[in-house]
Amino acid sequence: MKKRTLLFVSCVLMISLLGVVITGCGGTKTTGESVVNGDENDTNEKPDTTPSNNEADLAEDDSVFPPAEPVTFTMLYRDHPGYPYNEDWIVWEEIEKRANVTLDVIVVPMSDYGEKRNLLISSGEAPEIIPSTYPGEESAYIPAGAVIPVSDYVDLMPNFLEKVEAWDIEENLRNIRQKDGKYYVLPGLREIVVGEYSLAIRTDIFEEHNVSIPDSYDDLYDALKQLKEIDPDGYPFSDRWEGNSLLSQAATNFDVQAGWGAGNGMRYNEENDEFCFYPIVDDYKDFLAYFNKLIKEGLMDPESFTQEDETAVNQKFAMGKGYVISTNTQEVISMRNKMNETLGEGNFQVDIIPPLAGPKGRIASSNKLDNGIIISSNALNNPNFEVLMKFVDWLWYSEEGQILTKWGVEGVTYTKEGDEYKVLPGLKFTSLGINAEDEEAKDLRDDFGMNNGVFVFSMYNGHKELMYSYMTEEARNLTQAVNELSTFRNPDPPVLMDEAQREEHTMISQALMDYVNQMTLQFIVGEADLETDWDGFVNECKTKGADTLIQMTNDIYDETK
Amino acid sequence: MKSRLQNKISVFNIINTLIMIFVVIITLYPFLYLTSISMSSEKFVYSGDVTFYPRGFTLRTYKVLLKDTSFWISYKNTIMYTVLGTIISLTLTVLLAYPLSKRDLKGRGVFLGIILFTMFFSGGLIPTYLLVTRMLRMRNTIWAVVIPGALSTFNVLITRTFFEGLPDELEEAAAIDGMNTYGILLKIVLPLSKPILATMGLFYAVGMWNNWFGPFIYLDTKSLFPVSLYLRNIIAGAQSTREVTGGDVEGFGDIEATIKSASMIVSALPIIMVYPFIQKYFVKGVMIGSLKG
Repeated sequence: MKKRTLLFVSCVLMISLLGVVITGCGGTKTTGESVVNGDENDTNEKPDTTPSNNEADLAEDDSVFPPAEPVTFTMLYRDHPGYPYNEDWIVWEEIEKRANVTLDVIVVPMSDYGEKRNLLISSGEAPEIIPSTYPGEESAYIPAGAVIPVSDYVDLMPNFLEKVEAWDIEENLRNIRQKDGKYYVLPGLREIVVGEYSLAIRTDIFEEHNVSIPDSYDDLYDALKQLKEIDPDGYPFSDRWEGNSLLSQAATNFDVQAGWGAGNGMRYNEENDEFCFYPIVDDYKDFLAYFNKLIKEGLMDPESFTQEDETAVNQKFAMGKGYVISTNTQEVISMRNKMNETLGEGNFQVDIIPPLAGPKGRIASSNKLDNGIIISSNALNNPNFEVLMKFVDWLWYSEEGQILTKWGVEGVTYTKEGDEYKVLPGLKFTSLGINAEDEEAKDLRDDFGMNNGVFVFSMYNGHKELMYSYMTEEARNLTQAVNELSTFRNPDPPVLMDEAQREEHTMISQALMDYVNQMTLQFIVGEADLETDWDGFVNECKTKGADTLIQMTNDIYDETK
Repeated sequence: MKSRLQNKISVFNIINTLIMIFVVIITLYPFLYLTSISMSSEKFVYSGDVTFYPRGFTLRTYKVLLKDTSFWISYKNTIMYTVLGTIISLTLTVLLAYPLSKRDLKGRGVFLGIILFTMFFSGGLIPTYLLVTRMLRMRNTIWAVVIPGALSTFNVLITRTFFEGLPDELEEAAAIDGMNTYGILLKIVLPLSKPILATMGLFYAVGMWNNWFGPFIYLDTKSLFPVSLYLRNIIAGAQSTREVTGGDVEGFGDIEATIKSASMIVSALPIIMVYPFIQKYFVKGVMIGSLKG
């Protein structure tokens, strides 16, 4: 009896397992189909259906924008907790009115936007337009053909093309191209390079003690030395973001990379037209030596590289301990607000200074791309596909679309005085710090839907004037300074790896960079000695595969350039 | 017996009490901390001065929260999902567990096997998603929240074990008096099973109240979101973008620590308040020896 039940149970288990296998197959089959679809569309040599050659005969019918008949497109919407989605926003109404397009949105909480995007795309249920995607995030969707190579369709996007050409962005676009030479994400475009991160200093203290405002990293050293005399036991410089912003900014001026910008260890050398492993070159040693000097002489807080932001800002800088700290144009405002509470208004002055020059000059990356939009291959099934591309071009890249999503409707939300955009009286724009104290006023973002990350990328994009219109005076000055003072370094040319190569590359570089980052900090804080331990560090990098990485990167680069 | 226990102050009692007080303190502290933050002014919150009691007392945060319609819509949804979901889950659990508790049920082992199987294997995320959206067409409806996962295998097994413990003679007597199976279940078994119903109800209700993943993947319209989505977004939303962009680009100062705490308090309170009312059933210890099946 007992034996029989056991047999029975195992039979059932077997059957259910089979069932799972079958349904499993069913699942993959559907995705398989979509793969085939995608491929078909790809191999069918899309140019046939692209308007480049049949624009003339299509001009009168379906592909006209704005369309004669109202159309609906589906879109993924990233719901920012700071300005919760509201279907009554004027921005939806205006889009409908001007473009004759209704956006049917899938609202996804920002906290897990990426996860839901993955789910929808891999289940084949993705909406057509998927904004708020950073270049690089799209690569996972390409092998299955789930997103379209937008570069094949930019002919449909006059505004996009015009800006790419006028603002010299082709070079930047090269970096988001995949191995097949196409790009799959439409990035936000900027006319000029934005300066966001730099150092903030306590100008009042600098002035009081006659310390001149630094212009280079050497000046910074001298200034910190003078400041150290005020309080010999304290540190004049205690940094936030675990030093990542500072190292990242400083490194480019030593012709290396570090911090947030450390990357995978590869750096392009224009003279030899090849990639090198930058952490073992002498410039990197000089870079480390500089920061090691700051720590050794007690000018910089060794905790800078480990402490939480809260400690660095709330308990140190905002309490008057330390006179220099990394910041960006938004954070400096919130820092001042905190200091109004802690030190009292008028008792301090904090300013952002332009980026400092290093031994190799003042170098900035010439990146003019922002996060972007991907188009799911489901859009190809839409008979109005061409209208869709034109609509994307209009809303995200045309002057009219950008003004609408940034400032709204003239006479309703803003007025224009000369070149300046002014929020109408009785309204406020808290996210730009305009009229923020007025509790009763309606907010351009919260109540009208302007400055929405889904439409404006990360705030600064479009024409120079439009970019400036969104900046505080301080941010504008910083951006101007960056553009005037800096020499721009072109982004490294892309190394077009296929999936297997990328995997191998990452496997080596990840372990290697973990070690490099760890040693970088040890060299800086003095736990490792730059004189005695440097050779060991170089050798260890080589045993961990630095040479293989160089070889591999250069081979692939030569093959695909 | 009772008085002897009360009068006796043994070393065990003292240590036990001390340990329990300690446990109570560490359990309550987070709530206390959140409450004081939600009632303090930001100045003290930023400087980290708030600990046991509010500093710079203000109710401004709660006023702001009261005005936030999307919070209250989510709140309403959560209550709806919890009530409906608990009813569905309880009904299904009882209807499945009761027949399984009958030893003379034909193919009982098979059914148990199938049920146990789901405890260890699942179809995976994407097949499940496709099942719910394409075949059941439940995407973006309340049913997608309350139906998939309505039945918890674990809870079914506990309930079944409880039913097995009821004396067969009672049911036989009812049957002899002419009651049918449903009558027996409704009029005899269920009234005797209040402890297990209360416990399972609580398990399901808490699970449904906190349910985040189901609503997250199946719901596309903001007006259907439960409060768990709202909360996670304001707490984790800011951090996740910060990692990507490496800093503060879009003004995360928008949501203050005080608002976060206030919404956490307001949304946790109701489900906490359910406990005292069904606590008496827990004393009976449903879980003891329940998992021998």
